[in-house]
Amino acid sequence: MSTINDVTVPDKSNIQGMILRGFTHPYSCHMVFKFKDQPGAKSFIKAIFPYVQSAESWGDEKPDLMLNIGLTCSGIAMVSNLNATDMKYFPWTFQKGPASGGSQQSLNDCGPSDPSKWAFGNTTQQVDCVVHTYAMSPQMLKQLVSIVSNAATAGGLTEYLPLDEGTKRLEEYALIPRNSIHFGYLDGIDQPKLGWTNPMDPSDLRNFLIGYPPSAFSPGPTLGDAGTFAKDGCYNAFRILLQDVELFDNFLSTNAENIAKTIGQTPKYAKEWLAAKLNGRWINGSPLELSPDEPDPKTSHSTKFGYAGDTSGMKCPFAAHSRVANPRDEKLSEQGPVPRLIRRGMAYGAPPLINSYKGERGLIGLFLCGSLPTQFELLYSWINTTNFSAVFPSQNGQDALIANRSMETADTSFTIPTDKGPVVIKDMPQFVVTRGTAYCLLPSLSTLKSLAE
Amino acid sequence: MANPLTLYVPIKQDAISQAGAQLAYETFVKSVKTGLDASGIVHYARLALIPNASGQGTYAILLITAFDGPMNPYLSFFWTNPNTQKAFAGIAQVALNPPVPPVTDLTGFENFINENNLSQPADLYQAYPQTVKEIEAAFPHKTVLPKHK
Ligand code: HEM
Repeated sequence: MSTINDVTVPDKSNIQGMILRGFTHPYSCHMVFKFKDQPGAKSFIKAIFPYVQSAESWGDEKPDLMLNIGLTCSGIAMVSNLNATDMKYFPWTFQKGPASGGSQQSLNDCGPSDPSKWAFGNTTQQVDCVVHTYAMSPQMLKQLVSIVSNAATAGGLTEYLPLDEGTKRLEEYALIPRNSIHFGYLDGIDQPKLGWTNPMDPSDLRNFLIGYPPSAFSPGPTLGDAGTFAKDGCYNAFRILLQDVELFDNFLSTNAENIAKTIGQTPKYAKEWLAAKLNGRWINGSPLELSPDEPDPKTSHSTKFGYAGDTSGMKCPFAAHSRVANPRDEKLSEQGPVPRLIRRGMAYGAPPLINSYKGERGLIGLFLCGSLPTQFELLYSWINTTNFSAVFPSQNGQDALIANRSMETADTSFTIPTDKGPVVIKDMPQFVVTRGTAYCLLPSLSTLKSLAE
Repeated sequence: MANPLTLYVPIKQDAISQAGAQLAYETFVKSVKTGLDASGIVHYARLALIPNASGQGTYAILLITAFDGPMNPYLSFFWTNPNTQKAFAGIAQVALNPPVPPVTDLTGFENFINENNLSQPADLYQAYPQTVKEIEAAFPHKTVLPKHK
C-alpha cells in the first residue's frame, strides 16, 4: 500500500489479475459451482488459492496456468464468517442477484431469455462461486480444470455444466483472428483506462475497485465488516449470451440484396456495411465515425472519436451497439456521467463453418464494474430501451445487435440514415439469448486467503 | 413502461422525530422539485403521513412515486442531488428501525429504498404508456412574454 497526493493507492498484489489486465492466455474455462456447506466451501478455496493470479506484473515468467475466483452473495454468506447483519451491508442488487425483479427491470430477460430457462443463476440453480481458469496450452488447461474439479468434488460442491443440455463446461473457443467473437467482429478494443487521477472520471480505477470513496459511481460496501471483506474487490456480471450466428448471417445476406440497390453498391459490400451499421465499427474494428465508407486498418483499434458531431446518424446509426454501450460525448437527456465497463469476455463454441460441431455458441461475458446497478444495469437498460438521449429518434428503440426483442413496449425497427434516404428494417430478429447470469464479487487476495483459513 | 415505488417507513414517536416528519411533509414538493424535474423520469411523487391509530401523531411516512424505467440504476441521481439526498436521509433519520446499513452513502441509500419498498412493477395500473420525456416533448413549455396593450 502506498500513497499519491495523500490518497492511499491499492496494492496490485492484493487485487485479482483480471480486474487490471485482460489475460492473453489462449485457453480458458469458466466453472460454475454451488457450495454444500461451509467446511467444504473453505476447503475448496484453500485448495485452489495457490493458483490465483494477482494484478502484479509477472515479468518474464508468464504463468502456464492460473485462475481468478468470483463469489456471489450467497457464496459469501456460506463461506465467510460474516453474519446476517453484515451481509445487509452489501448492495441490494448484489444481494438479490440478476434474476430478481429489481435487476430484471433493466436486464429484461423475457421470452427465450427468461431466467427460468437459464442454465444457472435462477432460483432453482443458485450459483455460489465461479472459477475462471486460464492456461497456455490445452494440456495445461485440462490439468488446472481437473485440479479445480477434484477440489470441488472433495468439498461436496455441485458443478453446473451450462452447455449442450447440461453436459459441457464453458470453455473458450479461440476464434481467428485473435480477439474476434462470433458474428465476426473484433472485440475488446475500447476499455476504461483505469487511471488514478480523477475519481469523477468514469474510467478511473476508483469507479471499479471497492473501498476508495468518493468516486462517480460509488462502489460499495465501504462500511462495516462487509466493507473490509469487499475492499480491493470488483463486481463481475458474469453473463452467458448465446449468439444465433446462422440467423445473423441470413439476416445480413437477405437484407444486403435490397440495401445494395438503395445505396448503389454490391451485395457483398452491403453485407459488410450492414454488419458495421449494427455495431458502430466494421468487423475489423474501424469505427464508423472515423471510417464511414470502408474499413481501414489504420483505424481498426482507434478509440479517440465521438458521436456529438453526427446528429443525423448518417455515419453511425443511433442504435448501433457501440453507440448505445458507450455514447461517449453524445448529448444525454439524463444527468450523470456515462458509465464504463471493463470487458473480459471471450467466445465459446465453434463457428458454423466447423461442420463437426453441433453445439451452441456465444459469448462468455465478463462485465466488470464497481456498481452493478449504476454501471452494468444502467447500460443494459439503455441497450433494451434507447431513451437516454433526445437525439435518438426512437425513444423506445433498441440496441441493434444484442437487445431483447420480446419486450412488450419495444420498438424493434432499426433505421440506418443514408444520403439516399433511410434504410428501415422493420422487425429486427433477436440475435442474442441469455443462457445464465451470476453477479460475483472478485474479492481481494487477502480476503480469499482469510476464507481458506 | 412506468414502475412504482411505495416507500413505507414507520417512524419514532419522540417529539423531534414527529416534528421532523411533519416538516418533511410540509416541505416535500419544494425540496424535491428541482431534483425530480432534472431526472426527467418521475411522473408523480407524493408524501403522506399515516396517522397513529389513536389519531394523535404520525405512525409512518409513505412516499409514493411512479417513474419511467428501472429504479436502481437511477437512484444515484437522487442521491447525488443535495435536495433529494437531504429529503431521503431525513426520512431515514426518523425511521423507527434504524436502517442497516446507515443511509450515509449510495449503497446505504439503495438498500434503504429497496428494503422499504412495498410495490412490485405488476402492481401498477397505467392509463398511458408514454414516458415523462415523451410527454414533455409533446407539450413544450411556451415562453411567457410581458403583455402590452
Ligand atoms: C453477444 C453479445 C455481444 C456482442 C456480440 C458484442 C459485441 C461488441 C463489439 C463487436 C464491440 C466493438 C468492439 C469494441 O469496442 O471493443 C462491442 C463493444 C462494447 N460492448 Fe458489446 N457485445 C455484446 C454484449 C455486450 C453487453 C451485454 C454489454 C453491456 C452490458 C456490452 C457492452 C459493450 C461496451 C461497453 C462496448 C464498448 C463500446 C465503446 O467503448 O465504444 N456488450 N461489443
